[in-house]
Amino acid sequence: MSFLERHPEESLLSNRRLQAVIGVVLLALLAVPFTTTDALTGLILTGLVFVMLGVSWNLLAGYAGQISLGHAAFFGMGAFVAAWLTTPSAAGFPASIQLPILVAVAVGGVAAALIALVIGPIIFRLSGHYFAIGTLALAAVIELVMLDQRGLTGGSTGYYVQGDLAINEFVGHGDVMFLLTLVATVITVAVTYRIVRGAGGLGMKAIHDDEEAASSLGVNPLKYKMYAFVVSSFFAGLAGGLYGHYTLYINPESTLAVTWTIDSLVIVILGGMGTFAGPLLGAALFLLLDTGLAAIVGSVATSIEGALIILFIIFLPQGLYGLAEDYLITDIGGGGAATSPQSEESRPAADAVPDED
Amino acid sequence: MVAGELVSQSIVNGILLGGIYAVAALGLSLVFGIMDIVNLAHGHMLMVGAYVAILVFAATGITPLIGMFIAMGLLFLLGIVLQKVLLKHVVGEGLEQPIIVLFGLALILQNIGQLVLGGDARTADLGIPGNGIDLGFAFLSLPRTVTFVVAVVLIAGTWAFLQYTRTGQAIRATAQNRTAARYMGIDTDRIYVITLGIGTALAGAAGALLSMLFPINPFVGWSYLLKAFAVVVLGGVGSILGTLVGGVILGVSENLGALYLGGGYRNVVSLLIFLGVLLLKPEGLFGTGGGGE
Repeated sequence: MSFLERHPEESLLSNRRLQAVIGVVLLALLAVPFTTTDALTGLILTGLVFVMLGVSWNLLAGYAGQISLGHAAFFGMGAFVAAWLTTPSAAGFPASIQLPILVAVAVGGVAAALIALVIGPIIFRLSGHYFAIGTLALAAVIELVMLDQRGLTGGSTGYYVQGDLAINEFVGHGDVMFLLTLVATVITVAVTYRIVRGAGGLGMKAIHDDEEAASSLGVNPLKYKMYAFVVSSFFAGLAGGLYGHYTLYINPESTLAVTWTIDSLVIVILGGMGTFAGPLLGAALFLLLDTGLAAIVGSVATSIEGALIILFIIFLPQGLYGLAEDYLITDIGGGGAATSPQSEESRPAADAVPDED
Repeated sequence: MVAGELVSQSIVNGILLGGIYAVAALGLSLVFGIMDIVNLAHGHMLMVGAYVAILVFAATGITPLIGMFIAMGLLFLLGIVLQKVLLKHVVGEGLEQPIIVLFGLALILQNIGQLVLGGDARTADLGIPGNGIDLGFAFLSLPRTVTFVVAVVLIAGTWAFLQYTRTGQAIRATAQNRTAARYMGIDTDRIYVITLGIGTALAGAAGALLSMLFPINPFVGWSYLLKAFAVVVLGGVGSILGTLVGGVILGVSENLGALYLGGGYRNVVSLLIFLGVLLLKPEGLFGTGGGGE
């Protein structure tokens, strides 16, 4: 996977212009609840949830090379654990375990991470295709069991989640949830950035490139897979808890369905798999597609999403990020110039994969 | 305690259902064994096959037993186009790209299914009376028996094709050693096209057969993909007899699971068996290797 050989993000974040852009974007996002309608706030909140899903799935699939098709399970379990803690009576739990939303959502993330910690050593006995299908099956088992456990989940009708966080008449519940989600998104992006820039990221890339070679050099593949899996699941669970408490309604189909896995995958493919900024761009494009396409082409939108990921993976495997890098960053010069020859060198190598095996 | 007749009836129904599962799995297994890709859209192709049979039946009254051949033909063409237009770019380029292309295709097929037919479940009528033979310990329903026989004939036909035709031998040679097959003058690109065509045609056949027994909706694709993959894992990649046995095991255990744990757990039982075998014996119960790679 030669696209991992480049480290363009190093030059990206040392670029002052980019730091300024990040600052402006963050300020603009902070202003969203106070300047826009509730509908628009909700839409951008969904975009932030997409960022969390994309960044977390990319850590596992793009960096550690483990194509999981079970991301929805962690999103949904995070959502449910958080809902049980804020609304225990609806699930038949004693009212005394009730926790504030903030704590409950965090515990939801921790619970998703714990599930990953327990099943990781088992599911990582599988690799490649078997891992992908195994995770798909695992997520299906969790969804079916949760759907059947009506006492815990409300079955297919689900239930309403408590917790109105409105501060006064100007800052409604949705606005507070938006700010919480924004903080969680920044934490997700920052933590993931530290991981992929650090030793953990190197280990993940090593097992992604060649697990046997990495293993013979003393890299423990399971350790880095587990690292990626647990962190990835934590953030997916956190995203689920936040989303459930924004909509204030939860059921197994809306939180555990394969749709969330599909969304994560589409976001990362559109943006650029295994690149740091990829999922951020991908989430933005996906948000536009998800809302814009539906308005223009109606129910054909899903087909167009499917066609887009096919076209991207065949003709633009590095996604929007690769495109942006080709046409924008190398032209900016400065920090980008140092790495652009390197990226130009590795580009032909990425395309010229030998025909024969 | 569940009555003995119910148990034996579940086992008989499970065996009869297992034949169809085996047809679905055979298509997946062929493509997996020969092209080294898991067709993530296999379940959705099965759904398309079922809808073709249902629509042909609704429009003309032609029994799905004949409609099955129309479904097989259409899906054979879909498989050929898929390989020639999309997959040829990504086969042999590692795991990620083919999986994602097929994931995208599954999305498209599911969406088309929804657009054409809405989200409601539909079923076809076999045109064969629902009665059958009373064996004493169980009741042999005629539709289930007919679909089972058709399934076994399809599997035997595929086996004979692979065993006795030149193309079949070329497919097996490619499965054994792609490079050597190419040196021997086999056009492996053409073999891939044919293999994917046969694999998807078998998915279509399984769908048409299932449409006579169960309601089909546009979202059944994932569920049948997992069932088919479970059978592949049970039987071992590339083993035709193993696939039949695996299908029967899955059918029987699903029916017994539904009987003892409730209908909601029908699919959970098969998925847990699947995960168990995958983890304990990834080369399959009758496998000749190839697992876990």
